[in-house]
Amino acid sequence: MSTLDPINGVNKVTTQKAVIVDPVTRIEGHMKVEVSIEGGQVVDARCTGTLFRGFETILQGRDPKDAPILTERICGVCPVSHGMASVMAIENARGAAPPDDARLLRNLVLGANFIQSHILHFYLLAAFDYCPGPESAPWTPAWNVGPNRGWSVSESLPRAIEARRHAHEMGAVFGGRMPSPHTYIPGGFTAVPTAERIAQFGSYLSTLTEFIGNVYIPDVVELAKKYHEYGSEDDSQAIGAGCGNLLAFGVFDLDPDGTSKLLRGGTIELGKASDLIDTNAITESVGYSWYDDAASRLNPANGVTLPAYPKESAYSWLKAPRYRGKPFEVGPLARMWVNGIYNPGKPSVMARHLARAYETQEIAAAMREWLEGLTPGNPVYNDFASPSYGQGMGLTEAPRGALGHWVEIAKDKILRYQIITPTCWNASPLDDEAQHGPMEQALIGTPVDDPAQPIEVMRVIHSFDPCLSCAVHIMRPSGEPVMVKTG
Amino acid sequence: MKVSRRSFLKYCIASAATIGLDLSVVKLLEKALAAAEAPPVLWLNGANCTGCTVSLANVVAHAGALDVGDLLINTINLTFHPNLMGAAGDLAVTTLFDAAQAGGYILAVDGGIPTAFDGHTCIVWTDPRTGMEVTALEAVTELAGGAAAVLCIGTCASFGGIPAGNPNPTSIRSVREIIGGSTINIPGCPPHPDWMVWTFAQLLAGLSPKLDSSGRPKELFSGKSGVHKKCPRKEVDGKAATFGTDGLCLKKLGCRGPECKADCSTRLWNNGTNWCVGANAICLACTENGFPDKFSPFYRD
Repeated sequence: MSTLDPINGVNKVTTQKAVIVDPVTRIEGHMKVEVSIEGGQVVDARCTGTLFRGFETILQGRDPKDAPILTERICGVCPVSHGMASVMAIENARGAAPPDDARLLRNLVLGANFIQSHILHFYLLAAFDYCPGPESAPWTPAWNVGPNRGWSVSESLPRAIEARRHAHEMGAVFGGRMPSPHTYIPGGFTAVPTAERIAQFGSYLSTLTEFIGNVYIPDVVELAKKYHEYGSEDDSQAIGAGCGNLLAFGVFDLDPDGTSKLLRGGTIELGKASDLIDTNAITESVGYSWYDDAASRLNPANGVTLPAYPKESAYSWLKAPRYRGKPFEVGPLARMWVNGIYNPGKPSVMARHLARAYETQEIAAAMREWLEGLTPGNPVYNDFASPSYGQGMGLTEAPRGALGHWVEIAKDKILRYQIITPTCWNASPLDDEAQHGPMEQALIGTPVDDPAQPIEVMRVIHSFDPCLSCAVHIMRPSGEPVMVKTG
Repeated sequence: MKVSRRSFLKYCIASAATIGLDLSVVKLLEKALAAAEAPPVLWLNGANCTGCTVSLANVVAHAGALDVGDLLINTINLTFHPNLMGAAGDLAVTTLFDAAQAGGYILAVDGGIPTAFDGHTCIVWTDPRTGMEVTALEAVTELAGGAAAVLCIGTCASFGGIPAGNPNPTSIRSVREIIGGSTINIPGCPPHPDWMVWTFAQLLAGLSPKLDSSGRPKELFSGKSGVHKKCPRKEVDGKAATFGTDGLCLKKLGCRGPECKADCSTRLWNNGTNWCVGANAICLACTENGFPDKFSPFYRD
């Protein structure tokens, strides 16, 4: 990261502009980004997660059955994914599977939240990087989005706001209330399907399916055409490629033991696909994170979370998860590519938006089948007692990427709980080998027109749909030190 | 997406009974909205999860056309909100500074305020004037001083919430503990959008809602419509002995409805679609001071 620090040198002098964007807005949570700009493009980048809450520590010593309720509050945008990962981890520790109708109900409420999250992301978080928002606060003042290319969401926005709300109402039909439904419980699900509830859910699903096909996907396809330098279906030279490695854990179980999934897990490593995930190959580095170095490069099953602030060289509250020692991008693009549903040839800003939109349609279509598979009167809960001792792992997907929970139970209580969120993969800082995280890599090389308002940087960041639940920071053009380095 | 500010008023009139607004408040609102720009709302994110904002996005008129778009564009003048705003970085921060300097703003906070590591587990922005990172602790302390009202959105800002759960690893305090002054608390994990809109309507009408000992508006959290008091399952014979059974009282499973003063059982959630107990999920008493530790372990079986 030497380029971000002034180094006294004499021979060849290069002028770099250090830009800090803090807060990074229109994301979930707190994030700060620092980039160095030279010759009109980003030459170095640091992503900083600026919130640490210590959920893993709060969970220690508690009843394992409390974990789904508590971990849902890690994120108010994707609480359902945390509830899902948590019940899976605890059931895995017991070696028990829920009744089949519980599996369907879990899929349906999770699917509703995927739809909610993807619509929210595109229309309220990402779109205003390309067109101005409504002419009032909080959308004014805004950063300059450059010349008008004839793309806008102003017509779709009221419908999108309504569709997002409808997706939440659909989830509440079985989830009780959204966000943060408490219906996910180790052993199954609390709500029971009735003919009336099934019809109510189905009616929402029809409305949303129409919106996804006729509004959402066309809006994204049109955006990709108008901003082809950010990647489109026929362009492999695109901004925001990143590390080129993609990883998915898979989600939406299609059979009782989860062997078969709607979206299976796997990896794409520089174009090469694999269906296998070796969870033992996941480690978390903390060399550049505000945690004790003694806990670096551990597998999450043995992981610990020991905050250490201040710490020299550290710049983020995010750890740096790596798979086989390498950074991997997670999210809808990873899921769509691994499953052969959408393969853009190379990651890019638009490939991520397109994958997200296509995935929304895939999930909505599958939800219709799950809904029809429900049988009123079938059991949704098996009596469940947490094991007194045991270890469990719950791997699933949040809307923004692979999510894992790891639990160890001793004397009936949680002894250890570790969570790796998707944004930890994507927005991770440097690891102990000084490899940049995927978002940092995607930022490097991004052309920037106006360092005072580097909208291109926001476009790259937003394409990952980051969820830090605490901190994005933007660049400061004035008063920044001029970096001088030896050549 | 041009909507008249009048639509908020229409919303309040149409749904006054449902959200619990007195018609005299509606009259005051009419006057206030006709007169001037609404006071700016500066929304700070503490140690949050964004769930409160997502819940606000679920607001819908029980009668009429208002949704969160109308509310944000034309009514509450939401000058600073990191999850939604068009600006980022310096422009976002200077916009906040300008509004703060003018005074008369409403400070809304979601998330508790961490105090460990001098507050550095929660950075809200970098100050463009100094280049220094500013903690939520510093920001809330400074901005509370000039605020016309301080609104704690959700249980975390109100009381600490889940991130303040034992052993409270980042030493989170409620906003009230930090500023040492009065706050209007709208707890809930998350809070119901109606509770937020009700409170904004009071403030825009120039009223100061009467508060209970937990700092919550008495009208919303009197307990007269508490979860158990108005629970449709209260009079049902038989208590659920296991999960996944419909229509029975959930007390034996751990339902904290009797301890919860919120009106969820009559208000319902997500446009009247359902509520926790309606889906056979226990009430966690998430609006009560002491959540989660006071009620954990949640399940009895």
